[in-house]
Amino acid sequence: MARYGIALDYKNCINCKACEVACKEENGILMGADKHRIWVGVGEIEGQYPLLDLTSNVFHPSQCQHCEDAPCQDVCPTQATYTDDNGIVRVDVEKCILCTYCITACPYDARYVDDRTMTVDKCNFCTETRLARGETTTACQNTCPTKVRIFGDLDDPNSEISELLRTREHYTLKPHLGTNPKLFYLT
Amino acid sequence: MEVAISRRKFLQGTVAMSVVGATAATSLLSNEHETPAKATGPVSFHNTKTSADKAHEVATLCEMCVNKCAALARVEDGVVTKLNPNPLFPKSKNMLCARGNAGMQALYDPDRLKYPMIRIGEKGEGKFKRVTWDEAYEAILNGTDKFPGLSKILDEEEDNRSSMLFCAGEGMAEHTFKQFYQAFGSSNWLNHASVCLQTVASGYGVTIGAYPQSDLDNAEYIIMAGANRAEAIVTPDTMDVFKRTKGRGAKLVCIDPRFTNTAAKADKWLAIKPGTDLAFVLALTYVTITEELENREYIEANFNGYEEYSTSVLENKYTPEWAEPITGIAAKDIYKIAREFAAAAPKAIYYPGRRSTFAKNDFQLRRAMAIFQAMHGAIDNKGGLIFGSKLALKEHEGLMPLYDRAQARAIIKRKDKEGHLGYDDCAVVSGGGSWIGWRNRFLEKKMPYKVRGMFCYKHNPMMNMPNSAKTAEMLRKMELVVTIDTMPSDTVMYADVVLPECTYLERTDPVKTFGGVEPSFAVRNKVIEPMYETKPVIEILKGLTTKISKPLFEVSKKHDEELQDLIEEDGEEEAYAEFDLTLPFVHTQEELNHHAVAMYIGAAEKLHKDGVFYPKQEKYYKKLAANKFQYYPEKKKYYSTKGGKPKTASGKVECVIASFTAKGIDSFPIWRDEYAFSVPKGKFKLLTGRHAQFTQSGTANNAMLRDLMPENFVWINKRVAAEKGIKFADMVEVSSSIGSTRLKAYPTEKVAPDQVFFVHGFGEESEALTWAYKNGGNDNKIIEDTIEPVYGAAAMHETNVEIRKV
Repeated sequence: MARYGIALDYKNCINCKACEVACKEENGILMGADKHRIWVGVGEIEGQYPLLDLTSNVFHPSQCQHCEDAPCQDVCPTQATYTDDNGIVRVDVEKCILCTYCITACPYDARYVDDRTMTVDKCNFCTETRLARGETTTACQNTCPTKVRIFGDLDDPNSEISELLRTREHYTLKPHLGTNPKLFYLT
Repeated sequence: MEVAISRRKFLQGTVAMSVVGATAATSLLSNEHETPAKATGPVSFHNTKTSADKAHEVATLCEMCVNKCAALARVEDGVVTKLNPNPLFPKSKNMLCARGNAGMQALYDPDRLKYPMIRIGEKGEGKFKRVTWDEAYEAILNGTDKFPGLSKILDEEEDNRSSMLFCAGEGMAEHTFKQFYQAFGSSNWLNHASVCLQTVASGYGVTIGAYPQSDLDNAEYIIMAGANRAEAIVTPDTMDVFKRTKGRGAKLVCIDPRFTNTAAKADKWLAIKPGTDLAFVLALTYVTITEELENREYIEANFNGYEEYSTSVLENKYTPEWAEPITGIAAKDIYKIAREFAAAAPKAIYYPGRRSTFAKNDFQLRRAMAIFQAMHGAIDNKGGLIFGSKLALKEHEGLMPLYDRAQARAIIKRKDKEGHLGYDDCAVVSGGGSWIGWRNRFLEKKMPYKVRGMFCYKHNPMMNMPNSAKTAEMLRKMELVVTIDTMPSDTVMYADVVLPECTYLERTDPVKTFGGVEPSFAVRNKVIEPMYETKPVIEILKGLTTKISKPLFEVSKKHDEELQDLIEEDGEEEAYAEFDLTLPFVHTQEELNHHAVAMYIGAAEKLHKDGVFYPKQEKYYKKLAANKFQYYPEKKKYYSTKGGKPKTASGKVECVIASFTAKGIDSFPIWRDEYAFSVPKGKFKLLTGRHAQFTQSGTANNAMLRDLMPENFVWINKRVAAEKGIKFADMVEVSSSIGSTRLKAYPTEKVAPDQVFFVHGFGEESEALTWAYKNGGNDNKIIEDTIEPVYGAAAMHETNVEIRKV
């Protein structure tokens, strides 16, 4: 029993996409450019050469937010989407009927269709691979060159992530929706 | 500020490609008798999930680029299912980039070379037949009806061993191949240096005595000009610098004509006109001198020729106002950077960079950068440029027979107008040679003797140097081309004999010493047995030399009078011992590695088990947090090993190198008008470069990396594109005086109106590469072969192009 989350030192991100490949190889994600559990959002550059706005081109690493109040779970007619004992939002492939309501409902665009199983897939914090083996980091955290992510148990006051969230300013994405994401962006 | 756009919208923009399954339509193995190999692992473009159980892990080193980051390969049922970073290595600090993670796709690439092959079609046609290793070696020795063998060539050339060219790409086993070259007795060696680091390494080498590393972990001010560490990843630099920019300890000033990812992560980006960095450095130097920002004490103790150089800078009036129109960088910015750099010094770095030569003045630029850095005494110190320390490896003896008939290197010496002795196409002939200079001399029939064949190891001249039409012509004219490679590259298509090497995950390579602030040994251990009929290069050379050594000795006996005398004196058996080509390959790589680290107790075992070793590792290494490791305690790190002094023979920073004058090279950096940036109206300067998802052409067929970047796009300024009616993803033709290539357009404000850019490494012509074949644009079809005058390096950014919608 844990309540897992990730803190992201997102200013470290250089958009190298190591996390995306590590995730794909670890979790056997379907090949194809539009199939991925994790990504880096890039803002379109503003200004005219050579007077460009450096802050407009920010890199924003992201994945499923593992919301405490997950809209995807609310709309699932078959309860295929559920929150497990560790606070991880997961998809039960046996129950998923690919109605794609969850894809529409997710405010973070975190879900895609796995054409092999014809079900919806998304980040599960490597729960079937690394966590199942007793490892304490996700593939995306472990491989990152600039160490953007810190994965850990939010309920453990002694965890690195709890310490970070007590000492560093941070924000969550779209807080006004009341989804209570468990991805925290450190500023 | 616009919110980051949705990933799915973004993908629509980048023309997402589906990469499910693969077809292997290729003429590579046209032999009708060819039997498909029994698969020994997953051989299609796909990936598998790791299991929930613990699995065997082998410590190895990545070879997806030059960095050699440490990896742990997870093996399940004999199949590599995941590559993870190995936290024990101080250089890579527990990271693997996108390419490192995608290494399994190189191992299980269905297109990889699987068996020895010999050519049955026309040269360059890519028609081969599968043969046994012995048949391949036999073909190299005695030829076929399509091509001559070594016996014939060497006999006809009267045992001139230099009638065979040897060339190699960068890699841990380059040394192994070089031993073959030395034993064979040729003096024609070309490696990647002249299309790679030659001018930067030599510029720093002659000025401060070594090509230094940068302590980006502790620097407080960093000028990164013409280097792109967010996309051209170098470990540990990339990891160190970007954790501290944006007001977090280090100020990063990025100077680049193009808005790169490094620019996005910098504190300031200044667009510079291509090829004018030297004017920028000279202006910084001017401000430093006139405002007395330099470290006088350091200069007085550690410089040679400072008076002459500084007088030149002052008398030539290299002011920021002078530099502004040349560079496009405002004078006020130059003043500010010079002052800020001095304030932060010695924890300040003008980053040396690690790239190929862009402009003809690159060597002088590097010299000016090194001198500017040294003027602040920011050498061999924490937060500055560092030399570090290196653990010694025990060398083993090679074989260098003396062939009396072997001619010296094929270089043309000439006298210039003033009667100065020099070389035909460059001032200094370096160990790695001038690749395009050599190629062009060969084509222009300026060779002092006939060079008739070549051995090419892990090297792809067709894709890695300007003017691929000329490279193709050279390869066609070579009567015997032997390639040792893992992939059916564009160069392999021109081979007469193809020897398939196994990938880096299937072989143990020579142990390597990694110098720096935190020195260590690291080794690439074999993860799984070689698939198909592939072998590591050391075993390939063992087999080849066993075949050719005695017959080639017979050729020498026939033509080499010195050898005839030797045999008369000592007897044939004893004489042959000096010419026995098999000797360097008697021991296995594992045995050689054991020997190399023998003076460190327990090192060989530790390297085999953990991949990394350094003295007191057990005591020093600590995991401090999930993302943080200690390799050496702070006070044990080798920030300074020379007491702040340069490593030159004189112990001084060399501002003036008088011997260059006789070779027609400026003895210290000065600006010349011909360096100025200019583009004829209606044309664009072509820029090329790297990014973080591919390593040049070496990863072009990697299915996983294509998910990240399906093809290359040409960057063209948005406003210019609009004028020309070019929209995103429109197909355009980019052409220069030597050729043209087609790729899709990416209109953006990240590039200047008079420049275009696209990533190098795409647009392969080899039909045997399922994904890479004719995918995107090939820069080498259009980059003109401009030879840098000092070392004969290829200058990559000297070409003007036109662009039109097709």
